[in-house]
Amino acid sequence: MAASQASQVINTQDITDKSRRDLLLLLEAVRGKKNLVIEKSLASIIGLFVKFSTLQEYGVDKLFFLENHNVDSSQRNIVFLARGDNARVVRTVAEQIRLVRSESKIDHDFTVIWVPRRTLVSNLVLEEHGVLGEANITELDLQFVPLEPDVLSLELEDCFSDLILRKDPTPIFAAARSLMGLQKQYGLFPRILGKGDNAKKLSDLLLRMRSEEDVNASSDPSNTYLTSFGLTPSSTIENLIIIDREVDFPTALATQLTYEGLLDEVFSVSHNQTEVDSSILGSAPAPSTQPQNGTSPAPTTATKRKVQLDSSDKLYPEIRNVNFATIGPLLNRTAKRLQSDQQNIHAPNQSISDLKSFVSKLPSYQAEQASLKIHTSLAEEISKFTKAETFRRVLEVEQTLLIGSEGSTVHENIEELIARDTPLPTMLRLLCLESTLSNGIRLRELDNFKRQILQAYGYQHLLTLTSLQKMGLLVPREANRGYLNPIAGSAGMGATDWNFVRQRLQLWVDEVEDEAGKDKDIAYVFSGYAPLSVRLVQAILQKSYLQTLATAGGAAVAPAATGAGWKGYDDVLARIKGATVDVVQKGNDTDASHARKTLRGNKEGPKTTIVFFVGGVTFAEIAALRFVGKQLEEASGRNLVIGTTGLISGKRVADVAIEKGTFGS
Amino acid sequence: MSKPTADWERVGDRFYRKTQLYTSVFNPELELENYVVTGAPYSGAVALYRDEGKIYTYRGNQAAKSTIDIHSCAGKLIRQISWDKGRIKALGWSEDERLLVVTDDGTVRSYADLQGDFTPFSLGHGAEEHGVQACKFWTTGFVALLGNNSVIAVTRYEEPRPQLLASAPPGEVVSWTVIPPEYTSSRSVEVLLAIGKTVYVVDAAECEDRSLEAGPFRHINVSPNGKFIALYTEDSKVWVISSDFQDRFSEYESKVKTPPKDLQWCGNNAVVLAWEDELHLIGPNGAASKFYYDSFMHLLPDIDGIRVLTGDVCDFLQKVPDPTEEVFRLGSTSPASVLLDALEQLEKKSPKADDDIQLIKANLDEAVDVCVRAAGQEYSIHWQKQLLKSASFGKSVLDLYNSDDFVDMTEALRVLNAVRFYEVGIPLSYDQYIRLTPERLMQRLVNRQEYLLALKVSEYLHLPVDRIYVHWARQKVRSSSTDEESICEEIVRKLDGKRGISFEEVARAAYDEGRGKLATELLEHEPRAGKQVPLLLSVGEESIALDKAIESGDTDLVFFVLLNLKKKIPLSSFFRTINSRPVATSIVESSAIDQDRELLKDLYYQDDRRIDGSNLLVSEALSAPDMGAATDKLKMAAKLLRDSKEFAPQVAALEDAQKLTRFQEAFEKDLTERYVGLSVNETMSKLIKAGNMKRALRVQTEFKVPEKTYWWVRLRALVSRRDWRELEEMSKGRKSPIGWEPFYNEILGAGNTKIASLYIPKCTTLTVGERIEMWLKCGMLARAGEEALKAKDRNALEELRKQASGPALLDIERMITQLQKGR
Repeated sequence: MAASQASQVINTQDITDKSRRDLLLLLEAVRGKKNLVIEKSLASIIGLFVKFSTLQEYGVDKLFFLENHNVDSSQRNIVFLARGDNARVVRTVAEQIRLVRSESKIDHDFTVIWVPRRTLVSNLVLEEHGVLGEANITELDLQFVPLEPDVLSLELEDCFSDLILRKDPTPIFAAARSLMGLQKQYGLFPRILGKGDNAKKLSDLLLRMRSEEDVNASSDPSNTYLTSFGLTPSSTIENLIIIDREVDFPTALATQLTYEGLLDEVFSVSHNQTEVDSSILGSAPAPSTQPQNGTSPAPTTATKRKVQLDSSDKLYPEIRNVNFATIGPLLNRTAKRLQSDQQNIHAPNQSISDLKSFVSKLPSYQAEQASLKIHTSLAEEISKFTKAETFRRVLEVEQTLLIGSEGSTVHENIEELIARDTPLPTMLRLLCLESTLSNGIRLRELDNFKRQILQAYGYQHLLTLTSLQKMGLLVPREANRGYLNPIAGSAGMGATDWNFVRQRLQLWVDEVEDEAGKDKDIAYVFSGYAPLSVRLVQAILQKSYLQTLATAGGAAVAPAATGAGWKGYDDVLARIKGATVDVVQKGNDTDASHARKTLRGNKEGPKTTIVFFVGGVTFAEIAALRFVGKQLEEASGRNLVIGTTGLISGKRVADVAIEKGTFGS
Repeated sequence: MSKPTADWERVGDRFYRKTQLYTSVFNPELELENYVVTGAPYSGAVALYRDEGKIYTYRGNQAAKSTIDIHSCAGKLIRQISWDKGRIKALGWSEDERLLVVTDDGTVRSYADLQGDFTPFSLGHGAEEHGVQACKFWTTGFVALLGNNSVIAVTRYEEPRPQLLASAPPGEVVSWTVIPPEYTSSRSVEVLLAIGKTVYVVDAAECEDRSLEAGPFRHINVSPNGKFIALYTEDSKVWVISSDFQDRFSEYESKVKTPPKDLQWCGNNAVVLAWEDELHLIGPNGAASKFYYDSFMHLLPDIDGIRVLTGDVCDFLQKVPDPTEEVFRLGSTSPASVLLDALEQLEKKSPKADDDIQLIKANLDEAVDVCVRAAGQEYSIHWQKQLLKSASFGKSVLDLYNSDDFVDMTEALRVLNAVRFYEVGIPLSYDQYIRLTPERLMQRLVNRQEYLLALKVSEYLHLPVDRIYVHWARQKVRSSSTDEESICEEIVRKLDGKRGISFEEVARAAYDEGRGKLATELLEHEPRAGKQVPLLLSVGEESIALDKAIESGDTDLVFFVLLNLKKKIPLSSFFRTINSRPVATSIVESSAIDQDRELLKDLYYQDDRRIDGSNLLVSEALSAPDMGAATDKLKMAAKLLRDSKEFAPQVAALEDAQKLTRFQEAFEKDLTERYVGLSVNETMSKLIKAGNMKRALRVQTEFKVPEKTYWWVRLRALVSRRDWRELEEMSKGRKSPIGWEPFYNEILGAGNTKIASLYIPKCTTLTVGERIEMWLKCGMLARAGEEALKAKDRNALEELRKQASGPALLDIERMITQLQKGR
């Protein structure tokens, strides 16, 4: 699998181990028993690499959530673990320290562990609250969290709203720091490619950090002198491809149709976990599904159950990336196989050695059976959702929009769905999808839609609609005049010419399966629509494939696309909004880079490409990229690693904008 | 040349050697016995100050000014710190040559880099009342003992945080010591206090009695590797035990009546007892040897031995290193020893050289290795050369030999010899050099302002040189008295084009000297935007600082500058400053949303961002405690937008929102049900569910709800209240704006097939097949058949026949015949 290959280049296990080691070291430094106060969002991230029982071994007595304001004084040592780059969180920490200090009779020892670093603002805020001198302050440089061997995520929960709504570039800085960390370990990315304004900002920041690194490395006395000779290009990593979410909103908005994508749509998956009603899963919770659950000490209510969704599961890796339509047969086949296994045991005249080999396989067999049971139940629940009439209607509208045929039926359908009280996030996704795919909705129609949304869902959504406009998701067409906008200079286009791009990059594929019923194009993840973001990656890595696809699709013959980087696709890029990035990084010291190459004894050159999403990636895109990665590996032994600021879905996009308050409540 | 074994001394089965490092160290006038002397680890600087207790005893009142003098090991004065503040209770060094001075009231001054500038901090925890008695230092921290036997630990000097350890029992502390955190199982410092007859072990959490009975212990000390403890018992014995108090390794009886002045470890395997001018070296198993000096001496322990400092000489006492012993021990027949002999024969041009080589041919590579390592342990340049030559000779005979160690050693020796030179005065042993690392050695050279030597050595060892330049520049800025322009020019000229130079540090030095303008000028050469920010803020260049912060991409910095800026300048100019910088504006906005809405309002007003301003009011309306307040806010929100045509839809929506609440309040009064908070559609739906058609209709007309929407709402509301009568009534209607199919679907969804079927004939736009399907879903096979019959669809009828049974089957068959007949 692509995943296993990639793990050889970027050792995600190392990253996990390092995070765990760092955290435990910090906890160990606080002698004796301690109470740990942790930010909720961090708790589940920490849960990805350390178990609660391990924390207990390191003296953690009780665990509190920062948000709950219920820290007690049962231990002398109180350790806070929170994000230092968020002023609001810092303030909460400061307030709680003050509170505990004033209420408790004993003299407490406070320790604050800032993630990912101690910030100037955190110092300032603590000082304002008069607690700076009270606490031992340390930092835990938590950067990438490997969700899977081939997926590195920063797991920044508010990243989308920060970047797109608030225009706060903090996540870009965090991303740059983390990517810089990778460069320090694996060498410079020899080539940085990217699309989108935020991609440009990120790559600029990377270049700046690299030049500053020279100074930093030498002024850091603890640094070993070898690193201070400057970084040299990596011999294992070939490219860094940065995709700005703003370039490709439609993909994020469309309904994901892979199994994992739908799990996310229906139940929401976060930090490799999802919560479902235990009634769905039936009785007898299988212990094997929650191997890491001890890490999230949140009292799960009786009706909810957590399901771990990662490659530690027996079955999940096989089925997570397939289109939901084919999940039934897949599960069926597994069930049959398990059944035949079972029959084999009951078969008479077995020798002792047969029995022995069977018994040794028993645990894995049981785990698989448990996993099959869970996924069958989940799939059943999802199919209830997908069989609903509104779901079919929504999908119909979506696909019409994605194919690119504009028609009044779309608007009628949308209006009807609003009148039928379809959930607001779904409606907003459809409207945004239309707006982003056609560079805005005509003002009169937009006003009409807005009025209906307000009437159907409440006037508080005036705020929701403004937010969507600010995010550029739901705008009147006049606001940006399409790609011919004369103001848009070399910096990039203001808007994407979707018709051109759709045709040139074959964003719609009618036949996603070959004769044998196997998926043949990434478009399978949306049952026809090929995500632009992944097509852009293919434009770099799979030029000839895209070429044949375009010719077969009857597109105008494009110039032969060969060579590295964006070459051959400049015309498309020029018609997609946002800046285009193409930077080649060379080492300061050519001797050193030669030496490194020779040392590696690697004549073939680097083979790994990191695809980094600024603003979040969807499960469907991950599935598509894994598909691409598999093809690449078969063809040329190259592989992909996915990096992201976090995971995103249409639901989460809409959620960022939606005003939660109502009148009179 | 004297034999290297001349100064060897046998102690038990081991050899120890005393190497004379420097002579005429101090001014002969100086009476070293009146001074407290401590040395920095790794042959670092030595600090002296006059022991005040002794001044009174021996000299009476003397009006000499009190100073702390920092000397090199060779006695060269590096710096003199004048002291006028309180009684010094302890003086100590950290491994990076930071001098710590602790006074009796618990004030600590930390002098970094051998400079006269210090950063003070206070121990607290009652140090002021009870007074500091003494302190024990280790490489990265120290522990202070107070008069009430409280123990306070400081584990780091960057942002020191004195920590009170568990309390020890009362009683006089006869002697005490610490085990550094890196050697304890708990990873926190442990303090050993000899009180009464026993020893207590104190750490952050608890105080434990080790229940010894041979006390009181006059001296207690921990070996450099933290594994052993040496105790001096009341009956003048020295015990060596393991640091967990489990094993006793050796015992030695000094047979001297007066207790020794000092007890220290010499490396990890010998203990030194010192009286004024007599010294006992106690090796393993209680073997001992005695040394005598002419004058009073001080012991400066180090990791691999001990320096003995008298007014006249500085000696280094250590166990003879293994390779050295192997080569030089009398009568040694080791291959290395033979190799050295071979070299001597070679130099005499004697053919015996070859005999020697043949003799050790089999072990030649080992011999070369030993010679190389022995060379590293030698202080005499002559013997270093001899050993390296032997190694080289042996190497030349070998076919294959990796010379890396040899080359490294020659490099290391060149460096060591250079820094051992008396004017530099760093008598590093090879082991200390390896532990210290070349980088930190460079730092020490720089601190002694040996810039040229540091540069030469760095270039020789391929180390980065930027630190040296930066240090030089900082020193230049501090000490130079010429005008600022030429200083800046000179510094830039010297530093320009060098890799990795941090101008920020130089600029900070200039700023600390009060040369603000010079600081700003120097700062312009700093390549890292982020680093410039704090200093720019200090010199009052806020807007440049803001630009630099934005440039760095670090939002923390931007936010930090903004917070500073907001405190400093009036709001209007604050807005002006951020106005032209979108990143700054969005950061202000995003932080103000959480905590300072008034600021946000002002900002939107100033920038004429009406929609945002109005939305702010809307969100306030949402959190308003009652509807009256909410309506007021909505009114204000609408007012903000009213005079512009562009916002007409927004204004209309805001007015509708107010109107809706008015309606809802009225409904609530009439119907005693909660309506406020619902949307228009929800209001209508709820009204219909409650049977208030009229009111629902009024809402529809008032808010101009589209007909289609209204029908949908009505349909769904009726279905949800299972109002079959009304739905049946509706099926008699002639026209529906949403068609009749939704009626069928919704009602069927609610499970009423009878009513649902009423709508099937009305779905005239659908195909026959679809209608047949609809009938089937209602379970009305016969009606489905009729539909097929009407359309004369034979195949459909045949299909139906397969599904049918009972009376329906008869019906279908009848229809099939009818159709056949009709043909």
